[in-house]
Amino acid sequence: MNQSARILGMVFICSMLLTTTGCWSNDEIEELNLYVGLGMDVAQESKFEKQVNEQGGHYPKKKNMTVTVQITPPSSGQKKNQNSSSPQGGKSYLNERLTGDSVVQILRQFALRRERPLIGHHLKVIVLSTELAKKYNLEQLLDYIMRDNDIRPSCLILISHGSAVEALNSSEPGEIPALYLTGLFDNRQLSNKILPAMSLAKLDGMMQSGSSFLLQNVITAEGEHKFSGAGIFKGTSKKWIGSLSQTDLEGLSWITGKVRTGALKTYKPRTGDTITYEPKVTKSKITPIVRGDQISFHVEVASRGALIEDWSSPQHTATESYQDELEGYFEDTVREQIRQVLYKMQETYHVDVAGFGEQLRIKHPRLWKKVEKNWDEAFSKANVTYDVKINITNYGSSMR
Amino acid sequence: MSRSSDQITTAQAAVIIINYMLGAGILTLPRTAVTASNSPDVWISVLLSSLLILLAGFVIVKLCRRFPGQTWFQFVPQITGKAIAFLISLITIGYLLTISAFELRVMAEVTGMFLLEGTPMWAIVMTFMWVGLYLTTGGIGSIARLFEIILPITLVIFIITFSLSSGLFEINNLRPVLGSGVIPVLLGMRSTTLAFAGFEIMLIIMAFMSSPQKGMKAVTWGTIVPTFVYLVALVMTIGGLSLGGVKVATWPSLDLIRSFEIQGLIFERFESLLLVIWIMQIFSTFTITHYAASLGWSQLFDKNIRPFLFMMLPVIFLIAVIPKNISELFMLGQIVGNVSVYLFGTLPFFLLIISKIRRKGETSN
Repeated sequence: MNQSARILGMVFICSMLLTTTGCWSNDEIEELNLYVGLGMDVAQESKFEKQVNEQGGHYPKKKNMTVTVQITPPSSGQKKNQNSSSPQGGKSYLNERLTGDSVVQILRQFALRRERPLIGHHLKVIVLSTELAKKYNLEQLLDYIMRDNDIRPSCLILISHGSAVEALNSSEPGEIPALYLTGLFDNRQLSNKILPAMSLAKLDGMMQSGSSFLLQNVITAEGEHKFSGAGIFKGTSKKWIGSLSQTDLEGLSWITGKVRTGALKTYKPRTGDTITYEPKVTKSKITPIVRGDQISFHVEVASRGALIEDWSSPQHTATESYQDELEGYFEDTVREQIRQVLYKMQETYHVDVAGFGEQLRIKHPRLWKKVEKNWDEAFSKANVTYDVKINITNYGSSMR
Repeated sequence: MSRSSDQITTAQAAVIIINYMLGAGILTLPRTAVTASNSPDVWISVLLSSLLILLAGFVIVKLCRRFPGQTWFQFVPQITGKAIAFLISLITIGYLLTISAFELRVMAEVTGMFLLEGTPMWAIVMTFMWVGLYLTTGGIGSIARLFEIILPITLVIFIITFSLSSGLFEINNLRPVLGSGVIPVLLGMRSTTLAFAGFEIMLIIMAFMSSPQKGMKAVTWGTIVPTFVYLVALVMTIGGLSLGGVKVATWPSLDLIRSFEIQGLIFERFESLLLVIWIMQIFSTFTITHYAASLGWSQLFDKNIRPFLFMMLPVIFLIAVIPKNISELFMLGQIVGNVSVYLFGTLPFFLLIISKIRRKGETSN
C-alpha cells in the first residue's frame, strides 16, 4: 500500500469517528418536562378547558377523570398559559390538569399545550382520589401505567382522602409534593401507622393474586399533608370499599408483625397517667388451624421494647412487679387495637388485608385452592384468637 | 479464514456452552416457567432440567468421542449414510440459523423498548450483525477468547444487580414448597428445559478441543453455571414480584430490576447494567450459532467458510423479521427450544446406538 492511499485511509477512518459522536434520538434533558407525580381525580374540568371547549377545542371523549401531572422544574417563560389551580409564587413544581377518559390520551394531549415533551422515567408517586377509586377498577385505571415502558415499576401508589390534585399541592415554597409524599414512606422507621410502601410492581402482583389489599391514605388540609389510615380495596372488584383509621393500621401492624417502631400509648387505670411503650423488636405469628371445614386462626404477638414515657407521680422505681403491671396495661391496649381492626375486617368490610389468607395458602395449600375464590367471605366467618406478650426490657436513659 | 489449527481449551469449551445457553431466556424464563407450572416451585424444575441436560450432554460427548476431530456435519454421514445425513445437517443448520435470528430479534425488541426508543430496528440490528460477522471471521479461537472476556463480566454484574433486589424479596412468595405436589414441577420443566438449549454446540466444538477426553468436564461446567444463573433469576424474580406479578410481566427479570431504586450508590437504577450484560449474552449466542451454521454449510460442500459467513447474514436477518409481533416471536422461541430438545436430546442417543451396532468410529477404550 503506498503512502497516499494510507493517508487517505486514515482520513476516511477518522471521518468515521464523526458519525459516532451522538445518539440517534437524543433529547436534551433541559428540553424535557419530567413529571414526578401523577394525580387522578373524578372529572372536574378546569376553567381553561371550559373556555377551550367553548371555542370548539374539544375532542370526542367521556368526562371520566381528570389527570394531574406534576412537572418539575417548571420551565420558565410559561407565565401566560398558566392555569394550574394554584398561583405560581416561588413554586418548584407545576401542576397541569386535563380531563378525559384514557390516561394515555390525556397525557398525549399535553403535547398540544406544552412545547416540551413529557417523560415518565422519573415518576415517583401516583395519587388516586378515593372518589375515583370508588367508581373505577384500579386495574383499569392503572393499565396504561403498568404497560408503559418509561414509567418504572418502582413508582409508589397512594390514595387521597380529598382530591388528588390537592395532595399534589403544597403551601411550602421550594417543596415538591411528589417527592415529599414518597419521603413520608421512609418514616416507617418512626411510626407503625404507615403501611409499607406499595410500588407498582408489588401492586401488580397483589392485583393478580386476587386478594384484597390496602393503600396508604393521605389527607390534605390547609395545603399540608398527613398520612392517615389506609383505603381498603376489594380483591374481586379492585375498587375502594372503605378505609382503616391510623389506629386500625397500628392494630394491623401488630398482627402482621411489621412493626419497626412506634409509640404505644395508654393510661394507667386509676390515676389516668400517660404511659408509652416503644417497641424495638416485634414478632408475630399467624397460625391457621383447620378442623374439618372449620378454619380458625391464632395470632401470637411478642414484642420487646422500652418504657419511654411515664407520667406517673410519684415516680415508680423500676421494680419487677411494676414492670409486670405496665406490661399488662400495654398488652390490653394492643389486644384492644387488634380486636378493633379484626372487627372492621370481619364485620364491617368482610375483607382480609392482614395476610391470614397467605398463611393458610402456605400451610394448607390444598384447602386454600378450595376457599381461594371466596376467601374474604370465608375469612369473615373464621374465628381469630390472639395472644399478646409485651416485654419491657429497658427504660431509656432514665432509671427514676 | 477458518484456520484448521484453531484449537480451544476445555475451559473455553465450557465458556462457549455457557454463553450459548444464556441468552434471551434470562429475561423471560421466570414468566414462561411460572405460566407453565402455575406454582413457585419452578426452581426445582430448573434443577431437574439441568440433570436431564447433563444426561443429554453425556450422550453427545460419548458420540463425539468416537469421531475425534470431526464435527456433527462430518461424522453423521458415516453413521447414517449420505442422504439421511444431508437432511439432518440441513435441519441442524436451519435450527442454528433460527436461534440466531430469534436472539437477534429479541435483542432488537428489548433495545427498542427500553434503551433506544427512537432508533429504527434496522440500525440496531445492522451494527449488531456486522460486529458479529467481524468476530466470526476470526474463527472459533477468536470467538472463544471473546467469550472468555464476556462471561466474568456477565456473572459479576448479574450477581450484583440481582442481589441488590433483595430488598424486595419476600420468602412467602416462594412458599409453600411442593404445595400442589410434583405435577407443577414437571409441567414447569417443559419451559425450564428449553432454557438450556445450547448444549448441542458440543457436537461441533468438541472437534476443536485440544483435549477432547475432557469433553464431559466442559459439559458439566457448561450446565452448572447456567443452572446457577437461572436459579438466582427465578428465585429472586418470583420472590420479588410474586407469582401473579411474574405472570403478567413481559420481561419479568427486567421488571424486577426496574422495581427498585437505590440511593447512595453511584447508580440509582440498574436495569441498563442488566441489559448490557444481557445484550452481550445475546451477542455471544448470535455469533456462535451464526458461526456453527456457516461451518455446517462449509463442511457440507467442503468449501471455505468465509463466503458462507457473509451469505448467512441476510438469511438470519430475514428469519428475524418473520415474526409479526412479540407473541409470534415468543412462539418461535418455544418452537426452536422444542426442536432443540427433540433433535439433540434424542437423536444423538440413536446415532450412538447405531454407530455402536455398525461399529463406526473409534471405540473409546
